[in-house]
This record gives sequence, structure tokens and C-alpha cells, in this order.
Amino acid sequence: MIDATSIRERFCARAFVVDDAFATALQLTLALEKPLLIEGPAGVGKTESAKVLADVLETRLIRLQCYEGLDAMAALYEWNYTRQMLHARLTEAGALSLDEREAQIFSEKFLLKRPLLEAITEEQSPVLLIDEVDRADEAFEAFLLEVLAEWQVTIPELGTIRAKRKPHVIVTSNRTRELSDALRRRCLFLWVPYPSLAQEIEILRVRMPGLSERLARQIARVMQALRGLPLQKPPGVAESLDWALALMSLHREHLDARTMEQTLGCVLKVYEDRGVLATHRTILDPAMEDGAPAGEPGGRSLDPDFGIGSVSTPRH
Amino acid sequence: MYPFASVPENLAAFCARLRQAYGFRIGSGELHDAARALEIVGLSDERAVRHALRPVVSGTLDEARVFDRAFTEFFFPPLAVDRAVADATREAGPAPRVADSTAPGSGLDATAASDAGAARSRDVPIASFDAIADEPSELTHVARSSYSPLDADGTDEAPLLPAADAAWRAAARSLVRRLQLSLSRRWRSARRGRRFDLRRTLRASLQTGGEPLAAKWLRRSERAPQFVLLVDGSRSMGPDALAALRAGVALATATARLEVFTFSTALQRITGDVRRAAAGDRRHITILPHAWGGGTSIGLCLSAFVRRFGARMLGHRTVVVIASDGLDVGEPELLRDTMREVYRRSAAVVWLNPCLDTPGYEPTASGMRAARPYITTLSSVTDAASLARLARVVRTRA
Repeated sequence: MIDATSIRERFCARAFVVDDAFATALQLTLALEKPLLIEGPAGVGKTESAKVLADVLETRLIRLQCYEGLDAMAALYEWNYTRQMLHARLTEAGALSLDEREAQIFSEKFLLKRPLLEAITEEQSPVLLIDEVDRADEAFEAFLLEVLAEWQVTIPELGTIRAKRKPHVIVTSNRTRELSDALRRRCLFLWVPYPSLAQEIEILRVRMPGLSERLARQIARVMQALRGLPLQKPPGVAESLDWALALMSLHREHLDARTMEQTLGCVLKVYEDRGVLATHRTILDPAMEDGAPAGEPGGRSLDPDFGIGSVSTPRH
Repeated sequence: MYPFASVPENLAAFCARLRQAYGFRIGSGELHDAARALEIVGLSDERAVRHALRPVVSGTLDEARVFDRAFTEFFFPPLAVDRAVADATREAGPAPRVADSTAPGSGLDATAASDAGAARSRDVPIASFDAIADEPSELTHVARSSYSPLDADGTDEAPLLPAADAAWRAAARSLVRRLQLSLSRRWRSARRGRRFDLRRTLRASLQTGGEPLAAKWLRRSERAPQFVLLVDGSRSMGPDALAALRAGVALATATARLEVFTFSTALQRITGDVRRAAAGDRRHITILPHAWGGGTSIGLCLSAFVRRFGARMLGHRTVVVIASDGLDVGEPELLRDTMREVYRRSAAVVWLNPCLDTPGYEPTASGMRAARPYITTLSSVTDAASLARLARVVRTRA
């Protein structure tokens, strides 16, 4: 059994900064064997956390990426029909009886395992990442519930396959649609907000070892300020890291207005947001200045609700 | 220090409190998990206990937010609670009395108080973040100026949700049907279709001795439109707001994909009430004075909607229906910018303006002028016939 502190340490060693709430939630997921539903704005490391968890537990990561139109077959299993047909034709002249041939055709050899079945049949508990579950239809969500509750899958031709080891499940959602209460009740719930100023500096430090302290502080402050603006797509941690990398490759030691202008594309991904920033230019001034970060009220705990999951929806 | 002597009792009482006062869905399963979670993290560190209980008992962001307040309120009642109560007062009207929390386990007598609490926690008006952060005083001021054009005695400000008769329901059904959207990404089995379904064909061939005689096909079904109805409940709308609500109730009988909000100076989500009304439950809804019977700031409320719910409710299959007379006291720029965003992120924007029925009316009020370029259909709905007419003229951009 791993406790929260050691989870924190091990995650940190893999360059992923988690806070106490996150670590405790992971600990409980492992201990209670319940799925963990992680919600939060885009780019705070929801998906990444599953990858790191698999690495920490030294087990496989099986990922089920949800999308509109995903159906049970694509998630669970499919028979390899073409191969079955070929096999049937080729063994037509053989001496085997009909029953034997049928048993051959519907054996595991011809079964294409999709992520859910794969997770169930794994010898060592894998980490099953069900990514962006809000993108799948309601019908798929209902099906998912059944699998998550029973951990068994019935294939008519083969019988019921029961999980040898329960997978550790992480479900992520960007809140592009409301998830059903039933799914929420099956899971532990964790809201991952944007990091506080201190956390963001820490993340930059851990992920970008070459980054100067001063630049890290400036980037983190500008990010905090930007997330306070009414942007359509507020920048996440992923954007901070991209930006830091961009500034490092440009050999910039600190952030000034001109550099900011040149590299704005790393941070703001919607054209209209540039206009919003232009009208609120002044709020960035204190962030650009280089001061000690101590006592800065950057903590954004659970409260602010900016741009939750403002994932750009596909347009025509 | 704690309300009860033993940990399980405290835990059970706390969960009961969350369930009754804040509408958490905590069953025996969650209680069991909560107890196990405490067993795992131990009781030595208060923060660890919070971190352990929060994921177990809460299921949504709103619940996770309420949790911390409720936790403090329950386990550290008199002193630490001051600030939380102050926050609650600002957000949710009158604060829950601290006295309630000292006797949470005594089920029956607490029920009345907790019902009121539940109503409060569910129906917190959704003011824009700016309004709360920058001008709290103004907001509270607005909140007090409650006036209802619909109830003469003024004791009960909430309107009775109107029922929708057969004509309304038929009109709503035709509206849902007429809205043509693009095809879904999901392939479904069908008698005729565009794609050959090898799997089902082979499966069906088992019935015919392994000879695939009947071909099976797949086709993509049409996307069902999703509706967001925003009803202006301000004074100037008068009874026309009720007609819009009636249209909402009728729509709720025709489709499950409907969200309803009212707004006047703040936004309130009333989807649940409308659905219940559509199911035949006649009742007064708890609409807060911010969202009914005050002045209008359409821009502010609309932008609050986009920011809080936009990600979940706007999309390329969403039809946004705004019922308002466009008499806005806010800045036209804000309304224009917000309308542009709503337009960009939806399949159609329908504006129902009751004034359109007035002969000689031109949509020239500053609010209407700002919104006009981003409206796909401008119409009015006063009765079932006009809703049916809307069904004939409405278009989507899909």
C-alpha cells in the first residue's frame, strides 16, 4: 500500500507535481479499488497523471480515448471476421468435425481485444485511462457503467471473462457535457484546478531544469494574470511549459513586452483572446516586473470557475 | 469538540447533513467508502481527512466546493465558521444558522430547516464572476429590490410554471423535428444504408446455414438538436415571459436535450423545474429575485451563461433561444461581444421578441441593435400557433 506522501514523492521524481488532495485521491483509488473521475480545465495534466501513475506502479497503461460515435465494439472486442472466413475456407477440406472447426474459429486467436477487454485480461493490474469520457455518447456511458461495476465481459461464443485483477481506472472529463449521476456515483471525484503561483513555479522548475528562476517566476505570474481574464481559452499548464521551452530556445533571460508579443502564439490559441489581452494590457505589468513571489495571493483553489473545459468544439 | 463521541457516528451525521442540507447523493455505499477512506488516511491530520472525504462524497465541482464549507461548519462550528458564513451570505442569501449544524442527526426537526437549505444551495444565482469580485455591494443592492409583476400579494414571488396543452406540445414536437442538423458520427444498423455491415451480415448468416443471404447495412443517424432557452424574466417582459416559459415546458415534453434559464440581473438555471412541470407537476418554482422581476442586463447574464455553462451546453448542435424584449440597461458592447461568441459556438440563435407583435415596432433598442447581426431567426412566441409558425421558419447554419 502506498501512502499519499510517497505518491507525491514518486510523482515528483517523474517530474509531475501533485498536491496533497491529488495524492490522497490517488491513494484512495488504489486502496478502495474505485475509478477516479478527474475533471478540470484543459491542460492541467489530467491525462498525464494516468501515464505517470502507470509508471509509478510499474504497470501497463491502457488508454481508451473516447470520441463521438465510439461504440461498445470499438471499446471491448471484435471478432476478426476476415481472418475467420479465410480460416473457414482453408480448413474446409480438413478432417475436423463441424464442432471442432467452430471452436477453432471462435477461439481467442481470432478475437481482437479492444482496450476494455485488454484491461480485464491483463495479469497485473494495469492503469486504464478512459480519456475525455464526455465526448462519448450517453449510450456508451451506460455501457461503461456496466463494465466498471462488474469487471466482467460476456462474449457469447467464449463465455464470460472475469477480470483477473481489477484495473486501476482513471476517467477524465473536460466537462463539454454533463456526465450522468450514475457514473459519478461509481467514481471518486477529483477536481483539478489550475495550479497556484507557487505550484506553477515548482512545476516549471521540475519540468524545465534549465529554466532560470527569474523567468520561471515571470511566466508563472503572467499565466496567473492571464487566467484571470475573460479569455475564451485560458492557457493551461501545458501552455506554460510550451512557452518556457519556446523562451529557452530563443535564449531569452527574462520576459519583456516585445518578447511577449513575439511568442504570444504559445499561450493564446484563439484570435479574439488577443483583443481581450490588448484591452487588459495593464494587468500584466506587475507580472512582468521581477519581484519576490512570497506572499502572492496566487492560490486559485477550487473557487474560480474560468473556462472550465473550454475545449474548442468542432465547428463546421 | 465534535458533535458525537465516536468517529462512525460523526461521519454518519456529517453525511446526513450533506445529504439533507446540500443535496449530496450519499448512500450507504458512499458512507462505507468514506469510513474506509478514513481508515486508510488516519485521523491525525485534518487536511488529510478533508482530502480523503472530498473525493468520496462529492460528485461534481459544485459539491466539491460546498464540501469544504460544510466540513468546517460541521466539525469546527462557532469560531472558524464566521468567514464561511460571510461567504455564504454573499453568495446564497441568508446564511444557514449555525445552530442547525449542532443538531444535524436529529432527523425530523432538522428537515424543515434543511429543506430551505437545499433550496438555497441549489438555486444560487449565477452572477458573473466580475460582478461578485468587483461590485458585491451593487449586487446585494439589486438583490433586495425584489418586485414581481406576477404576484400581487408579493409574499410568493415565484411564478407558477405554466402547463403546456396538446397544441403547444405538438408545436414543440414539430419544432424539434424541423431542425435539421448534420449527421451523427455514430454508425447504426439499418435496413438500408451507406456502409456494408460485415459483422452483422455474418452473424445473420448463422441462421441460414452459414450462407450470407441477407445483407446488413449501417447508416449514420441525424443529430438531435440541443436547446438552450434563456428567458428574460425582467419587469418589462410581463406576461410574455410566461409564454416563453410555457414554450420551454412544451419543448421539455418533446426533447430531453433542453436547458432552461431565467435571468433579469442574474442568471438562474431552472431546467429541473421545467422538466418536472413538463411531467405534469404543477408547482411554484423558486426563482430568486435576481432572475425574475427586476431590471435587465442581458449582456451580463448572457456572458455569465457562456462562461459558466458554455463549454457544456454550447456546441455545433445547440440551438440557443433567447426570449427577451432587448431592453437592456447594460453596455451594448458586452452584449454584442457575447452574442458573437454565442453565434459562433451554436447551430442557431433564435431571438423571441414579444414586441414584434406590436404593429410598427422596429428592433432599434440599443440591445436589439447590438444583438441583431448574430440572430439567425427573429420571431415571437405568444401562443401555440406562433410556436408552430416558428417551427416552419427556423433555420440552422449546420
